[in-house]
Amino acid sequence: MAEHEHQAAESPADKYYFLIRRLHSLTGLVPVGVFLVVHLSINAMVLAPGPVGSEFQRSVERIHSLGPLLAPVEIVGIFLPLLFHALLGFVIIFTCQSNAQQYRYGSNIRYMLQRATGIIAFVFIFYHVWQMHWFGEWAGGGRFRLYDESGGALAATTTAATIQAAWWIAPIYAIGVLSAVYHLANGIWTSLITWGITIRPRSQQAAGYVCAALGIVLSLAGLGALNGFRALNVTEGTAQKTGHSVTAATRDR
Amino acid sequence: MEEDPNGKHPMSATTHIHQTHTLSHEGNGRKISVKVLRQSDPRGGSHWETFEVPYEPGMNVTTVLQRIAANPTNAEHEHSTPVAYDSCCLEEVCGACTMVINGRVRQACSALVDSLLADSPEGIELRPMTKFKVVRDLFVDRSPMFAALKRIKAWVAVDGYHDIGPGPRISPREQDEAYPLSRCMTCGCCVEACPQFNDHSTFIGPAAISQAILFNAHPTARVERDDRLAVLTGVGGIVDCGNSQNCVKVCPKDIPLTTSIAKAGRDTTLYKIRQWFGR
Ligand code: HEM
Ligand code: HEM
Ligand code: SF4
Ligand code: SF4
Ligand code: FES
Repeated sequence: MAEHEHQAAESPADKYYFLIRRLHSLTGLVPVGVFLVVHLSINAMVLAPGPVGSEFQRSVERIHSLGPLLAPVEIVGIFLPLLFHALLGFVIIFTCQSNAQQYRYGSNIRYMLQRATGIIAFVFIFYHVWQMHWFGEWAGGGRFRLYDESGGALAATTTAATIQAAWWIAPIYAIGVLSAVYHLANGIWTSLITWGITIRPRSQQAAGYVCAALGIVLSLAGLGALNGFRALNVTEGTAQKTGHSVTAATRDR
Repeated sequence: MEEDPNGKHPMSATTHIHQTHTLSHEGNGRKISVKVLRQSDPRGGSHWETFEVPYEPGMNVTTVLQRIAANPTNAEHEHSTPVAYDSCCLEEVCGACTMVINGRVRQACSALVDSLLADSPEGIELRPMTKFKVVRDLFVDRSPMFAALKRIKAWVAVDGYHDIGPGPRISPREQDEAYPLSRCMTCGCCVEACPQFNDHSTFIGPAAISQAILFNAHPTARVERDDRLAVLTGVGGIVDCGNSQNCVKVCPKDIPLTTSIAKAGRDTTLYKIRQWFGR
């Protein structure tokens, strides 16, 4: 094809620019977007009825049942796509010259917020993964534990203890949750245009309502979970070494 | 079109009408404060200058600039130079007089002073567009817009002047889709308001994307459809749009730019898939 010939003179990054940008959109949806929905849903299990934290414990156990496969699955399925999306996201942000001050249209403000929440989510995820995930252990983080030495359930109590370690951690989590959720909900709305699925203003508006509803539901799930962990009484819970340590923990209020 | 420094040009019927106004009304003694961001040459170095222009009923911004040209004395009572600007049709169809008026990009000839003052009684602020090189004062060089149209082959290719018979039929439905897009006057409003069109981006801009969609829908111009899609899938193409949708809101011709952008998103994806799988 004719265009193939003059594309040969371009650098590989230029040649695959379209593909790379389509991958950026795709990784935002799958796997990163799907991960966020699943992750917040599992966290919201802390609010499930029954013994405190037991449902959350079971959900996390199901994921950890991958055993030695868990780390590679996490790396290939979450961290690498997220890193790709985030680093390219920064490159994209550098091509932007926001004018939301001058042209105060709703869509322009959402465009600006898409970039701002991407940056906030990036910082939050770094902090959060360092703090929770065993990847962060070497740097003094990695507080999340599934079991104690005697096999007692610890998922909910260690998560709660981490969030309760200082008064400012829960607010940081609230900002992180809201940023990530906004970024996903608005990102789904833009991706429908990117891929040419919503074409006319009316379908774009309808998609806007659906995405807003999704955003509200996910925010409630995320903030609800956060409040659940914040209110969990961990002082006795972590101290006990019995298999019922978590069930012994009580809700503060 | 180059503007005569006197601000009078042969086609200007409106000028005469407004001059009659001046004679009959002599304004009502009210003056409008007009702040202009001026620049004497393309090398830069701009400064603000304020003029006090006698109010006339029914004025538009072009008339204001004509009055300044007729009497270029600024608010400090110093003798200044006429403010350079571009214009041609004086009825919002050529796009030449596009500038930033009270912070919003639009055409001077269709910006009515009465409605501007209703929104901001302090006066009128005029700036050249920021996304193009300034030639002088409010006169900018919009040639990147036309270069973009060349890149996407915004034309119907015919290879001669001989009679090639009637063209293909276009259904009324296709006409309804195409007509709004054909109203583009390459004025630059959309790219001026586009946050993705700037010095550190190679984005081709919404006007050219929409024109590619227009010509790709034309039964004869479709021959070069893949050439247009190749440009839109290249660097600076469709993926550089960030969906802020400013373009559609500022377009004076109400062109459904975001619909064209979404169609381009779909068509480019399908084009790439066709290309990878060898059609
Ligand atoms: C309600 C707020 C949140 C809580 C309580 C929470 C809790 C946790 C916990 C306990 C882990 C460790 C899981 C393990 O090691 O198996 C984790 C990991 C992780 N979290 Fe969160 N999280 C929250 C919000 C978020 C948000 C908003 C994001 C942003 C996308 C996020 C991204 C991640 C990532 C990327 C990991 C590491 C991957 C993984 O372990 O599967 N989290 N989170
Ligand atoms: C919480 C995890 C994240 C999720 C679920 C996510 C998801 C998405 C989605 C679905 C889109 C829409 C793509 C499209 O319009 O086609 C998007 C766009 C974007 N994301 Fe993310 N993202 C995440 C993290 C990040 C991070 C950390 C950054 C880095 C700063 C970032 C920067 C961006 C940018 C700049 C865009 C706009 C791209 C464009 O307009 O084409 N994202 N994201
Ligand atoms: S699309 Fe509208 S705003 Fe853009 S150049 Fe054409 S007429 Fe002007
Ligand atoms: S929708 Fe795209 S082309 Fe239109 S102003 Fe926003 S970034 Fe620019
Ligand atoms: S002079 Fe033609 S649009 Fe104003």
